[in-house]
This record gives sequence, C-alpha cells and structure tokens, in this order.
Amino acid sequence: MRPFTRLVWKEARELLRPRYILPILLLPLIFVGMGQGFSGVEAQLGQEPTVGVVDHDGDRYGEVVVDTLDAESTLAHRSTNGSVETALNETTAAGGSAVVEIPANFTERIESGERGRIHLYTTVESVSIVGIASSSQVEELLSQSAHNVTVAVTGASEAQLDPIERDHTTYVKGRQLSAPPGVVSAAFTSQFIFVPVIIMLAIVFSGQMVMNSMASETEHKTLETLLSMPVDRRSIVAAKLVGGSVVGLIATALYTGGIAFSNLSIGEVGGNGAITLGAGDYLLVAVSLFFTLVGTLAVALSLGLFADSQQGAQMLLLPLSGLAIVPMFATMFTDVDALGPLAKGVLFAIPFTHPIIAPKRLLFDDRGLVFAGIGYEIVFALVAVWLAVKIFESDRPITGNAGWLDRLVRMVQQ
Amino acid sequence: MTTQAVQVEGLRKRYGDVQALEGLSFEVRPDEIFGLVGPNGAGKTTTLRTLATLLNKDEGTVTVAGHDVEADPDAVRRAIRYLPEDAGAYESMSGRQFLEFVADFYAQGAAADAMVERGVEIADLDERIDDDTQAYSKGMTRKLLLGSALMTDPHLAILDEPTSGLDVKNSKTVREVVKEFPGEERSILLSSHDMLEVEYLCDRVGLLNDGVIVTSGSPEELMAEYDAENLEDVFLEVVA
Repeated sequence: MRPFTRLVWKEARELLRPRYILPILLLPLIFVGMGQGFSGVEAQLGQEPTVGVVDHDGDRYGEVVVDTLDAESTLAHRSTNGSVETALNETTAAGGSAVVEIPANFTERIESGERGRIHLYTTVESVSIVGIASSSQVEELLSQSAHNVTVAVTGASEAQLDPIERDHTTYVKGRQLSAPPGVVSAAFTSQFIFVPVIIMLAIVFSGQMVMNSMASETEHKTLETLLSMPVDRRSIVAAKLVGGSVVGLIATALYTGGIAFSNLSIGEVGGNGAITLGAGDYLLVAVSLFFTLVGTLAVALSLGLFADSQQGAQMLLLPLSGLAIVPMFATMFTDVDALGPLAKGVLFAIPFTHPIIAPKRLLFDDRGLVFAGIGYEIVFALVAVWLAVKIFESDRPITGNAGWLDRLVRMVQQ
Repeated sequence: MTTQAVQVEGLRKRYGDVQALEGLSFEVRPDEIFGLVGPNGAGKTTTLRTLATLLNKDEGTVTVAGHDVEADPDAVRRAIRYLPEDAGAYESMSGRQFLEFVADFYAQGAAADAMVERGVEIADLDERIDDDTQAYSKGMTRKLLLGSALMTDPHLAILDEPTSGLDVKNSKTVREVVKEFPGEERSILLSSHDMLEVEYLCDRVGLLNDGVIVTSGSPEELMAEYDAENLEDVFLEVVA
C-alpha cells in the first residue's frame, strides 16, 4: 500500500471509532424517529373523522348539516332527542372525539334571516399535535355544512358562490412565472431551506472530523511518531483532509437522509419547472462547495493542531460553525442583494456564503457572480492548504505554541 | 572518511524568551550507543526532536547519516527511527497492525513482512500482539513502540527514556535489546535520567547543561576525570 493510501486508511480507521461516530449516528436516528411521528400524524389526519350528531331541529336545514356529516365523516352516533353525554360516550368509544348538537330552532332562525347556531362538543384526551389537529377536521366539516346550507337557502350555483377565477403572473427579479406569489415563495423556501442546511452540515461535520483527527494524535501522543516517518508533510496534510472529509461527507449524507426521511424539509417546488435548477447548475454548486470544503478543512486542520483533546477540538470548531450559520440564515431569511454594501461585503468575505447563495443566483442565470465566488473559493482553498502545510513544517505541531495568538491570550489573561 | 551517524555543530534553539540550546556540538559514531544526559530543561528533548526533524533549528549544522536535517529532511527521516519519551500507538489498530502501518513506510512485500516479524519479536508481547493497542498497559505500549523503532534497522535510533514506565523485568529486557542493536551502520542516541542505565548501555556519554555539552567521553573516562565512583556522581559534580 502506498504511504498516502496507508495514511488515509489510518485516518478513516481512527475517525470511525465509536467515540467519534456514535454521536453522529444517533442524531439521524432521532430525525428518523421524528419522521415516523410526523408520518403517523399525517396518516391519522388523512383518515375520515368520526363524529356524533344530536339533531333536535329535525327540519330541512338541520337535515342538510346531518347529511353533510354523514357524507364526509363516519357517524358513530345519530339521534334526534338523545343526550349529548350519551352521544359523546358512544362517539368516544368508536374512536371519535366530537359531537355536533343542532338546536331545535336551527332551521327557523335561518329562515327568519338570522344565523343558525350549532354547538360542538369536543373531547381532547391528548394534548398533542394529533389531539389538537383532529378538532380542526371537525371544523372543516362544519364549514362544508355551512356551504351546503348556503346552497340550499339561496339555490345558488358553485360559480355564483365563487364568481371570480384568478390567473397569476408573478415577476421575480424580471423573470416571469405563472404562479401566485404565495406558491412561488413556498417553492423558493423549499429550495433554499434544504440546500444551505446540507452545505452547513457538510462544513461542520467535515471540519469536526479533521479537528478530531488532529486532537486524537495529540491526545494519544502519536503525532511525534507520525511526523518522524519518511513521508512529507504535504502527504500527511492531504491524507488528513481526505480521510476527515470522507468520514465528514458520510456523516452529512446520513444527516441529509435523516432530514429527508423526517419530512422536515418541504422538498417539492410547487411543481413549477420554471423555478428549479438544472444538472449543470448543481455541478457548479458542487464545485463551489468542494473548494469551500478543501479550504475549510485546511483551516480546521490548522486549528486542530492547538486542540489537546476531542473536547478542545469541539471548542475550536465553534467559530467555524458560527461562520457557516451566518450565511445560512442570511440566505434563508433575507435576499443578500437587498443588504447594504457593508453587510454584503462581510457576507461575501465569509467563504461559506458562496456555495450557499449559488443556487439562488443560478436560478436567475446570474452565473458571473457564481464563477467569481468559485474563484474566491479557489484562492481561499490554496491559501488555507499552504498555511496548513507551513504550520506542519514549523515547530507548532510539537510545541503547540500558537505564537502571537498565545501572546494575545496571555495579555488578555493578565 | 567515515560518515558519522550524527554530527552537530553550534546548534542553537530559542523558544520565545528561553534559549534552549546554546551552541551545542557533539557527534555520534557508527556502531555506538551515545547517551545524552542532563537535568530537566537542559535541552535533551529539544536536541532529539531537532535530529528527528520535528523542530527547526535557529543556527548551526545538523547532519544525520550524512544528510542535513534542513536541506534533506526526507532522507533523514528514512535513516532514523524516533521513540519519544511519552508516546502512544493508534488505538484503532492491534499491535501487529501498528507494526504493519510503520513497516509500510520503509519496505514493501516480503521485506515489510520480515520487518513486522522482527518487530513482533522485539516487542515480545506473545499473543497480545493481535489485541487492540487500547487494551495495552503502558509497559506493553512501550515495548511495542520499541519494536516498531528498531525493526526497520535504522542508521540511527533516537530513544528518549526507552525504559520510562517499565517494570524491572521489562526494563531489563528492553536494555538487552538496545544493547545488542548497534552494528556497522546502526547507532543509538539515547536520553535517560537513569544513570545506571546510561552507564550500562552507553559507549560514550555527553553531559548536557543549560543548552551546551559540558563534558563528554566514555563512562570510564568521565568517572576517571571527575574522580567519581559512578556516572551519577559525575552528573552531580558537573551540574553543581
């Protein structure tokens, strides 16, 4: 086996140990558990509701309500003069939770031009999403009943009741889309919540793995042995970057799968093909992400030299994570182009910003700025790797001395 | 002219405000064990790390097996093996896998296999050689590391406190291995606080104090020079 391959193999073995990999594996399992929970809620809400009805009215508009409930739900109890308590007991026993009581003067009030009154009795056993959301199903039944009563009272057709049909044309940054603004907004949100999160996870996990790799060498006192082997420093740096990023990207894939499985993302883009990215666009995003990762991991490697343990590495990762989170939130909640020059300058200086905003720019054929971003990433990656190699060639891996940074910390402490 | 295993001339090294090495000069000849001894902070570990290409020198010339540590560090690394005072092995590997990992940098195929077998023999861990190193005691780890350091037949083995943390029996075993190692193209540079060990193992000794070699010679020569019964008394006399 070539020394470089042997080093990558060693890195992967070290980083795939339970102490490093278990915390990463556990979170996707939590996502999957959440996904199962949401799927259960969705399945439950997709079922026909079970209700009871006590119709004291017995006249035609009361009948319209009862017929609507019969058509749209499972009627567990139906009576004209029974008690609400009995109706609730029977409905609850049948798996329902609501009883509709129609008073005796319901039809009479509507005929005299007043609003008819209905009393809804609901039993909430579970104070949870399922318990509260199921009552909204019954509210929808009553809305449908009201609609049917309106048709019965007025004799109006559906077209008369909703006489205006709307066609939408929405312009987004000069681009014409045949969809309402709400749908466009939902489609954008679905595209740009998921992508920045994945990019942020890739940066954080890969960075953490590379830092763990360095911290592990220090913690287990293997660094001196490694650095005295007949292999140049560039190979050691490259092996740590490759090994750490492979494990980090596996972790990102697991998280991405966990998030997708949990249905936490919106995922779909409203079925509007005009606002989706093509394969070439995704390739450009991947190129941008690749150079960002190389640069970030080289920075993480340099920082990891100053970590004496896994805990220390996690502390050192905080600034990097923070820098990854800033552009993620900036692109999720604002439009970078709408920011002032100073804020925009700061944001563009953060290397993680460019792959995160690349999808939005590509959507509007703003390729010039994407290529400029990739150029910036390449420079960032080259400088970061050069710096890491220089640090490895210096005394710092052995002495742990951070030079001016150490002096600054001492000055602050004094 | 014979190439010295180590040739150090006017080596200087400073850490911030501390001058660790103050123009250090010494040589290690082929086929000898050279002992570098001195009080804590005298500069022993800095010297060993400089020879192992782990630290950069400020001034002076340092050659190992004829290669300059600054101009040709890769050649120096191929010629040496370094056993740090406080070292460990990769916990994800068994003892044998660790030896294979190290051997892979020095040889391939049958030569690497032979190297590993020699390492297994020197480490003398019996069937525990196939256990994960995280289950090893400090003494077992030390023996494994010594095996990995000597199995490659380096021109120069740099051993910092080779018996550190070992019990009496294991220390004796390690000393025997070290004693038998030197050959025509094999030398040892050793640092130890155990003067009896140094007296027993070393052909020549350099006494280091405040970053310079104060005196050097064979243990017998030093004891005669300082009219001392043993090397420990020589050490105390020189340091005082």
